Amino acid sequence: MPYKDILKEFLILLPLSVAVAFMVNHFSPRGIPFFGEWDVSKGVITAKSRNDVVVRELEIKDFFEAKEIFDSGNAVFVDARSPDMYEEAHIAGAVSIPAYMFNEYIIEFTALYPVSTPVVTYCSGRECEDGHTVAQYLIEEGYSDVRVFIDGYPLWFERGFSVEP
Amino acid sequence: MNPEVERLLYHRRTRLVARWILGGTFVYAALHKIVDPAGFAKIIYGYSLFPEYSINLIAIITPFLEFFPGLALILGIYLRSAATIISSMLLSFIVILSINIARGHEFDCGCFSIGEAGHASAVVQLLVRDIFLFVFGVYVVLIEIYTQRKSV
Repeated sequence: MPYKDILKEFLILLPLSVAVAFMVNHFSPRGIPFFGEWDVSKGVITAKSRNDVVVRELEIKDFFEAKEIFDSGNAVFVDARSPDMYEEAHIAGAVSIPAYMFNEYIIEFTALYPVSTPVVTYCSGRECEDGHTVAQYLIEEGYSDVRVFIDGYPLWFERGFSVEP
Repeated sequence: MNPEVERLLYHRRTRLVARWILGGTFVYAALHKIVDPAGFAKIIYGYSLFPEYSINLIAIITPFLEFFPGLALILGIYLRSAATIISSMLLSFIVILSINIARGHEFDCGCFSIGEAGHASAVVQLLVRDIFLFVFGVYVVLIEIYTQRKSV
């Protein structure tokens, strides 16, 4: 009966694949836990890997809190999206630091804003982690007051608040 | 069946090429997912088809369900089960892609690299590619069952 032989092969291949999968994931520096955080109502979605950039404590979940900070004029808003998206439209007065081009943009930023400046980063909403990535980079640069406005540009625009150009 | 076509289908080299294409494709596709499980998990989330509790587990296990059967096909061991696993996975990819095409949902396929865009034309290309590979997979399953039965 070939089916018995095929079943035997399955019983080797499948458990081997699953066992190695869990083993590699356990020892890998980029491994992830069995369960991530995929509920946008709780914040930016994340697989919660060991090198995860998402830090819940930095998140501004309440839109009005972000608006209040914006209106106070004390903080600089940092747009972590791509330069194209920034050029198209961004929160009024926001400075562009694309997450994947941080090193190119940070020199000019540090020259303009001392590390004591409160910073609010944002990107394209709760499915985007670039705001968190830039926030972590800025903290590494010495900025101590960094927050992440997790609803980002889409909700800001939707609510009709000031955007540029 | 035309005897020439039949001879070609059963030819050792044809079987070898089919196995290597299928196996090589799956091993290659698995590697970047193994290296970046968090990125792959986000892609699975983007399909909007899986419950939240299953996303990380799928991201951990799936790359190895691609890698080992792919490797088995390249090495020529456990051919029938390896090809069956790969064909089943391809069938599920085809179903997943079709559902997202039908509902007009844009997503990142993540098949061979993170960031493979899921726009309409690209998704249709992906679907055609998966159907092509699925045919290869079914061919390997059937031909290996037949030749091993014949050799018994």
